[in-house]
Amino acid sequence: MTQLTTAERIALYGGGGLLLIGTLGIGLLEILAGAPHPVSGEGQIVHETLVPLTVRSSIMLLGLLLWGAYAATSVAREPPTDTSV
Amino acid sequence: MVTDIRTRLLGQDVSFPVDESRLAYWLVVMRLIVGWWFLHAGLDKFLAWPFDASWFVGGAAAQTTLGPILVLFSDGILLSFTNVMVPLGQTLIGLGLIVGAMTRLAAFFGAFLMTFFYFVNGETGGWSHGVITGDLLGLLIFAMIATLGAGRVLGIDAYLARTDLVRDHPRLRHFIG
Repeated sequence: MTQLTTAERIALYGGGGLLLIGTLGIGLLEILAGAPHPVSGEGQIVHETLVPLTVRSSIMLLGLLLWGAYAATSVAREPPTDTSV
Repeated sequence: MVTDIRTRLLGQDVSFPVDESRLAYWLVVMRLIVGWWFLHAGLDKFLAWPFDASWFVGGAAAQTTLGPILVLFSDGILLSFTNVMVPLGQTLIGLGLIVGAMTRLAAFFGAFLMTFFYFVNGETGGWSHGVITGDLLGLLIFAMIATLGAGRVLGIDAYLARTDLVRDHPRLRHFIG
């Protein structure tokens, strides 16, 4: 059970936090303070957003980039010597 | 058969017991289904060769968050590279997951590809079904497979982990399940 370095903590908590803001956080804000989300006859959600979708996309992309950076840089870390874990 | 999962969150020890027999069952089922999803997608493109990804890396995709990167691959040699690497990558990722070989590496590249699919499909479709799409869930399943190291359950990675090569070069274990 290895301890996280500061950089790993930033990548994991920062990445997960941004993804949660992009999905859950902004989603909750849209429900509480935004316009209703009616579903059209074609099954599409028709609504005006409080937070522009490009901003939401960018927040989520930054979160995924931090996760990717964590995964890519973890290769440099020496894994435990026990091959059963 | 209960085993303790040793894990930490926010600096706290949050280890918990889990029924190992069901965990193994779940890891294999998830690996096989997600693996087949990608293997099928890759083979389909090879069987209907030539594959042309220009619609994905150019056109409407140019206006998406990832557009500035994608358009670099929209013509010339980089488009040819994309046309080969997408089906080849999907095939290898799918095979890797199904046989449990280099599982973490396969899952990493699966999540990498899903990032492009998620944003391009979502943004060109105006997020018409919300931001939590099947593409995002696929991406998260790849991340889960990489995290859990699912390749050692009925997978080739169980053998690879015991080879001299991996014992002598422990960093290789970052790539296997």
